[in-house]
Amino acid sequence: MIEVARLTKRYGRKLAVDDVGFTVRPGRVTGFLGPNGAGKSTTLRLLLGLDHPDGGTALIGGRRYRDLRHPLRTVGALLDGAGPVPERRGVDHLAWIAQSNRIPRRRVREVLDLVGLTGAAGQRVKGYSLGMGQRLGIAAALLGDPEVLVLDEPVNGLDPDGIRWVRDLLREYAASGRTVLLSSHLMAETAGTADDAIVIAGGRIVAHGSLDDISAGHESLESAFFALTGDRRGLGGRGGRGGRGEW
Amino acid sequence: MTAAPTGVPDTGGIRLTDLVRAELTKIRTLPATWIVLALTLAADTLLALPAATDVVRIAGSGGRTAAITQFGTVLLAPVYAFVAVPVFAAGGEYRGGQVRVSLLAAPDRNRFFLAKLLAVLGILTVAAILVVLPGHLTRRALGGADVAEATGGLSAEVTAYLLLGLVAYGFAMLVRTVVTPLAVLVVLPVLVSPLLRGLSPEVTRLLPHEATLSFLGMPEGPHLALDRPVGLSVVVAWAVTFVGAAWAVTLRRDG
Ligand SMILES: Nc1ncnc2c1ncn2[C@@H]1O[C@H](COP(=O)(O)OP(=O)(O)OP(=O)(O)O)[C@@H](O)[C@H]1O
Ligand SMILES: [Mg+2]
Repeated sequence: MIEVARLTKRYGRKLAVDDVGFTVRPGRVTGFLGPNGAGKSTTLRLLLGLDHPDGGTALIGGRRYRDLRHPLRTVGALLDGAGPVPERRGVDHLAWIAQSNRIPRRRVREVLDLVGLTGAAGQRVKGYSLGMGQRLGIAAALLGDPEVLVLDEPVNGLDPDGIRWVRDLLREYAASGRTVLLSSHLMAETAGTADDAIVIAGGRIVAHGSLDDISAGHESLESAFFALTGDRRGLGGRGGRGGRGEW
Repeated sequence: MTAAPTGVPDTGGIRLTDLVRAELTKIRTLPATWIVLALTLAADTLLALPAATDVVRIAGSGGRTAAITQFGTVLLAPVYAFVAVPVFAAGGEYRGGQVRVSLLAAPDRNRFFLAKLLAVLGILTVAAILVVLPGHLTRRALGGADVAEATGGLSAEVTAYLLLGLVAYGFAMLVRTVVTPLAVLVVLPVLVSPLLRGLSPEVTRLLPHEATLSFLGMPEGPHLALDRPVGLSVVVAWAVTFVGAAWAVTLRRDG
């Protein structure tokens, strides 16, 4: 269970996350949707203690991320701008992560196998394709077999096969009673994966509920998305407060 | 929520030693570490030959020549390859965004910094002995104990490598790059010190490189000399300052 309340983050004068609140329930896949610059990655960084909020709280299983006793066994995360040193071999990247949280070494082989990187494990990461890098990131998130998955645009760079694999993995994960939160700006993809959605635009939550509720009255999730976010584009938004008619 | 979910058995809380092991793996699996160590070892050993046998003389002032052992800067030069090991260990965190992965794995910034520092200390100590020893033995074998003693003795040399390595490490954690600390540490003795020593030898001899030379008993001239214990204290102060500042800043940074 993820509980976010009144979360606010300012970069200079820019309000990147503005009074954001939502809960993510276990047993379901929750999509975190919004246009570029809406504040998705910032919210996820705040949730994982990689950025300091100006206000509000973000809890995972009732605790701040920084207070977790077993961070990687509790939460698996894939984040923008969090990855391996390019000169390191893929397997070594996973090896140190596993050691840091006392995850058995055999688990490194398991997740490499799971994401289909066994053959490339001994290669330096700088030789990886975009999709291979993404698979390595997902492998790192899965290392601790965590209770909660937080993935920032996990299908970015993946081929159709990879996308389907991620979808099946996340559905299975949620079906086993665990919590899955994934950000995306791909509506069609999210519609096929998520049960619930949180829509953010200009730093504010504009909709939160089951996919059916959100798409109700619209042709598709995509048209609902445009209707919800059309006047609150994150890019060029003014402090995230730009309501309709303000400019 | 239970801390240990299915599949991966919970083996108790995470210990500092787990984090130190992970940091050791990071350093060990970075190709730069091995390249740098090989370079340092080669440079140290090669410089020991002329130092021990006095074959090579360096042109000194007034047309006189001097034995290479009198030029501490030359003998200490390999340390500036050596310090690239901790610099890469620190700067590597900021390549590819590894630091975010590190902080996800070890969200307690104090533990993260402490674990990394302990790993760097361990690697520096072992590596310093390994790279310094062959050169030291060469000097001893070819030039006798006098020459070996003249360059400070093995433990002093290892201490010098360790302390300058810590200065470089703290510096790199502070500025989050590899290039700046290496450039500054090399430019200081090569360019700044020759200019500054004419103006103010009192200040110049307190620079890390010059203080280290004093500590090793081979200052570059009497006006730059400090007593050996004083030289040691000055270098220790530099190391504590840089590492302390890096620690303080790491606590306040988020990732
Ligand atoms: N470190 C930072 N410094 C300054 N501004 C930032 C920083 N990080 C994010 N921002 C700003 O905060 C806003 C939200 O950015 P964020 O990366 O969270 O968006 P996003 O929803 O993840 O977008 P995308 O879909 O493009 O990944 C943007 O306007 C961005 O410019
Ligand atoms: Mg983003």
